[in-house]
Amino acid sequence: MIALSRYQLSLMLRSHRWIPPAVLFILGVVLLGGTSGPAVAHGAGLAPGLSWSALMLVPATAWLTRSALTAEPAAARACVAAAGGPRRAQLAALVAALLAGVVFGVAGVVWELTRIGVLRTQGTNAIRVGATLAVVGTGIGAALICLLVGSAIGALFNPPIILPPAAAMLGTTAAVVFALAWNGSPANAAVRSAGYGTKATSWPPGLPALAAVGLLAVAWTVSALVAARRSG
Amino acid sequence: MRLDQVGKRYGIRLPWVVRDVSLDVLPGKLVRLEGRNGTGKSTLLRIMAGVSVPSRGKVTGRPVTGFVPERFPPALPFSARDYLGHVGRMHGVNGDSLAKRIEACLGRMGGMEFADVPLRNMSKGMCQKVAVAQALLPRFGLLVLDEAWTGLDVEAKAALDEAVAERLDRGGSVVFVDHDPARLSHLEAERWRVEAGAVTRVEAGAARAGGTPGSARAGGTAGSARAGGSGDSAQAGEYRGSHRAAKGARRRASRAAASGVLIEIAGWPGGVRFDRVRGVSAVDQDDDRLTVLVEPEASDHVLRGLLAAGPDVHVLGVQVQDGGER
Repeated sequence: MIALSRYQLSLMLRSHRWIPPAVLFILGVVLLGGTSGPAVAHGAGLAPGLSWSALMLVPATAWLTRSALTAEPAAARACVAAAGGPRRAQLAALVAALLAGVVFGVAGVVWELTRIGVLRTQGTNAIRVGATLAVVGTGIGAALICLLVGSAIGALFNPPIILPPAAAMLGTTAAVVFALAWNGSPANAAVRSAGYGTKATSWPPGLPALAAVGLLAVAWTVSALVAARRSG
Repeated sequence: MRLDQVGKRYGIRLPWVVRDVSLDVLPGKLVRLEGRNGTGKSTLLRIMAGVSVPSRGKVTGRPVTGFVPERFPPALPFSARDYLGHVGRMHGVNGDSLAKRIEACLGRMGGMEFADVPLRNMSKGMCQKVAVAQALLPRFGLLVLDEAWTGLDVEAKAALDEAVAERLDRGGSVVFVDHDPARLSHLEAERWRVEAGAVTRVEAGAARAGGTPGSARAGGTAGSARAGGSGDSAQAGEYRGSHRAAKGARRRASRAAASGVLIEIAGWPGGVRFDRVRGVSAVDQDDDRLTVLVEPEASDHVLRGLLAAGPDVHVLGVQVQDGGER
């Protein structure tokens, strides 16, 4: 599995298929995110900033996943599937996209911390270590949930489950919008609880993470099973 | 490897591409699938290679597998060496032995001069050489060739033929499809005809009707309806211990009737085994002297394999033995 994932990661990196989703993520975080939070004083904008970059991970990871799933010609996939098994070959592509998404997520957190800075006490300007760690922790948690949701969407709405490119791309886009806008989506709940927007979420803590893990497990399993059935 | 009642279709409402295929591929066997375009040969090959999972039935005992597709498009962003490295690691080969294996496989196909050229910049033939090389990376096990000779130059075609013979000698098995009826005709192959998704054994000509003990056994079990659960499990047990069983069978065969071609060899390198080779009925080793009893049909390729085993090997004598029972 490690060799398969290494191959898929290398394929992603060398094929430059990570660049379009990276551009989307950078534009989303830098251009749109800059105006999202309130005034950037005393680090007050850190929580909204982190939650916005987490939110942008959903479309970016979904696109990364599409890139990974369409990177290989069928014949090359067949050779790899003979060596490692068709299900594991598919899972390796999903793992590679998820790992690339993690890199995006880390870049997002670093960017928000440099742009906004840590939380400080008004007047004395002392660093509020505990509060900063809590905000960053919640932001990273939201980012992880968004990663999982983005990966699940990418897996469910792309080959081998949905083959025609137009249907796959429209489906992916619609699912991403739905996952972000709908109240019942774990990504929406995670981003809200991390400080995006004004309305709090009604989800109990921990449930968005559980829902995201479940969604990912279902999506990856279906994708791997269909890959093994459809290939050939 | 055994296929048991295997069927494949690409959707519940779609027709079966292959259906109720039961056949065994035994170690040391060469299997040729024949049939017109669109009869399900490629689908069956892909199921045998483990690339595709059957919709019905099951495949058991599939060894390490290398698969060569008919066309390997020049699309991957790797050099040949890097690509082979990735596939080698998937087979669990690492470090120095991986580098050596890559050189051996790519060199054999005549591809070392473009080892560092990206696959994207390669011609169809160059890509096909890399595709063959990646399937040869594991030394043993099953080799599945889907018109793998397409696009190869004459030398590379011969090298692939040689690699197939070597794989069979080592006790591996090879399954192939090719539209050239002369392809690998110098090797003894079990032929299966694929027609409208069903598979039937093509009986070899009268000259080969005797065959080797292995092929006779394969013919007995494959394709025929297997009756009863107990018979099934007994066969499965025999299959799992097939090497041991084959050895025992050879020993019995040599006691019963020592007929065949007797080859005597001197200068045999120590530690090299030669008892899993197709067509060999009995082996007797005394220091560097080796006496091998071979089926008459297999004597040429066994001789070739013996001579290639070491630099000091030389043939002392070859004689036809008549066991008296014939």
